[in-house]
Amino acid sequence: MADQLAQAAPTGTSLRIRRPSAGPSRTARRGKVRQWPGAVFIAPHMLMLGLFMLVPTVYAIYTSLYTTKLIGGTSFSGGANYVTVLQSSQFWDGVGRVLLFGVIQVPLTIALAFFFAAIFDAGIVRFSRFFRTVFFIPFAVPGVVAAVMWSFLLLPGFGPYATFAEALGLGKLNFFSSQLILPTLILIVIWEFTGYNMTILYTSLKSIPREVTEAAIVEGASLWRIILRIKLPMVMPTVVMLVFLNTVGALQLFTEPSILAAFQPQAISFGFTPSLFVYNTAVGSGEYNLGAAAAVVLALIIGLLSVAGLAVRRRDGEFS
Amino acid sequence: MSRRAKRQATELVPAHLYGLRRGTTPVLTALCLLFAIFVLAPLVWLLINATKNQAYVYGSFGFWFAGPFRLFQNIAALGQDISGAGIFVDWLRNTLVYAVLGAVGATILSALAGYGFARFRFRGANALFFLVMATLLVPITSLALPLFLVYAKVGLVNSIWGMILPSTVSVVGIYLMRTYIEASVPQDLIEAARMDGASELRIFLRIAMPLSVPGLVTVLLITVVAVWNNYFLPLIIFSKNSLYPLTVGLSSVSAAAESGTKADLVPVLITGGLVTVLPLIALFLLLERYFRAGALQGSLTG
Repeated sequence: MADQLAQAAPTGTSLRIRRPSAGPSRTARRGKVRQWPGAVFIAPHMLMLGLFMLVPTVYAIYTSLYTTKLIGGTSFSGGANYVTVLQSSQFWDGVGRVLLFGVIQVPLTIALAFFFAAIFDAGIVRFSRFFRTVFFIPFAVPGVVAAVMWSFLLLPGFGPYATFAEALGLGKLNFFSSQLILPTLILIVIWEFTGYNMTILYTSLKSIPREVTEAAIVEGASLWRIILRIKLPMVMPTVVMLVFLNTVGALQLFTEPSILAAFQPQAISFGFTPSLFVYNTAVGSGEYNLGAAAAVVLALIIGLLSVAGLAVRRRDGEFS
Repeated sequence: MSRRAKRQATELVPAHLYGLRRGTTPVLTALCLLFAIFVLAPLVWLLINATKNQAYVYGSFGFWFAGPFRLFQNIAALGQDISGAGIFVDWLRNTLVYAVLGAVGATILSALAGYGFARFRFRGANALFFLVMATLLVPITSLALPLFLVYAKVGLVNSIWGMILPSTVSVVGIYLMRTYIEASVPQDLIEAARMDGASELRIFLRIAMPLSVPGLVTVLLITVVAVWNNYFLPLIIFSKNSLYPLTVGLSSVSAAAESGTKADLVPVLITGGLVTVLPLIALFLLLERYFRAGALQGSLTG
């Protein structure tokens, strides 16, 4: 960071510059500083945030309190839509499914990502630069395209992976059967996101000073001990953030199952995930009020889980 | 770059100091190779099958060429409306427009707001930043539907602005810009410029922004990918297929291809997928070093 500063500062401005300090300097505030421009700088973004996130959120809550009937128009119905959603076994099946999905997919993805990040960071793999680039590529592939590719690759009968599985003596596997559809989705999402998580963990591991590793070697610690007992705890804040982001993503699962539904309609039900439930209720069946209520419930579930997660971390002393 | 690479090389602890067993490096390299095959196989499949006609996509081994070489005919088919679902080239153009305008807008707004949060203390700043971060928790599926209902009231359904304007809100972008500016734009420099009588806007444009180029490029990349890959929002707000981006267009082709009655749609789907993926992969390979060395490093370690 410091060398970037040294290069950029003299060319970046024609103003007379005092010697720039070599790093972030929060202590250097002195005297009275004009602070109103701060509000002006953030205003454009806050305006867009208000218009395109807060207004729809408030409107969703408002809409969810009404019911539209073919005869009689729209009328206030209080919590009736919420009762319908909360009593819908399809909705709760979907919630249970994404929770199960997340409980398996998130730890697997992050464990794989950390394993690769750690061995690349230790410099004990050949061609690690090449591997880092390759692993990251799926991040640039839209979920729609990923789901289409995997639908063909995993096609029962004549898809190449089903053929491989049969050659390996696993019998005729149907990756889209009701037993295997969840593992199949987990496989696709791991393919999509492992490299992204790996890249973030790798940059985080790289910031650990080499003196730490050297001291551990002098103490006689093995590589695996250094990785698991010294480096992993040091990058724990990054791991926690990734667990949070991946979990929120898992609970919102929509694109992959909705594309698979085009190829394997029997495998993906109306409420396979809560997001599909919202979409199919509102757009498929035209019940916007009910869909809005389901959307609010889904947002509340995600919010509650996040707050609970934060509370547990705080109690364990991970966050100050 | 070379300086940075050299510095990293000297910072690396020599591998032999770990006292690993002889076979460790080959075994780990082999594991990486296996995962690389797992990652690349679908893309290789996409490339190979973009050269086949529909019968051979289903009837031949997926990982090798077969039948007549149809790549150019398949690409030509992307310019036609053979499914009745719309024209792929239109979707490509739409995606470019949405991604460029959305990402540029998001980068500008993120830079302004990130600077405001990083270098000013004003009343309510913390509460507002917390509010921005809290919107990460609201699922896109919970937002897109009410957004559509609001659009229906104000006439933004089937308008490109309905897609572009919400894309300019990037919470991750603000977070990255704030952290990057805190780390690389010294407060002293800003104070000095103020004493010299520079206006706030001038300080932002001539001092803060030139020092934040790697952060800006990273935010631009992340938001281009976010808009390029966005599926749920355009799925809900567009009903005209001439306005679809690639993601929604391809999903409508895949639905039509599976319903089976129409002409050869599978090659359009596969070749279209290839054309969707290639520009972003190229962009990443070109700008990789920004992604690596840029804001991610400063921001996500703490």
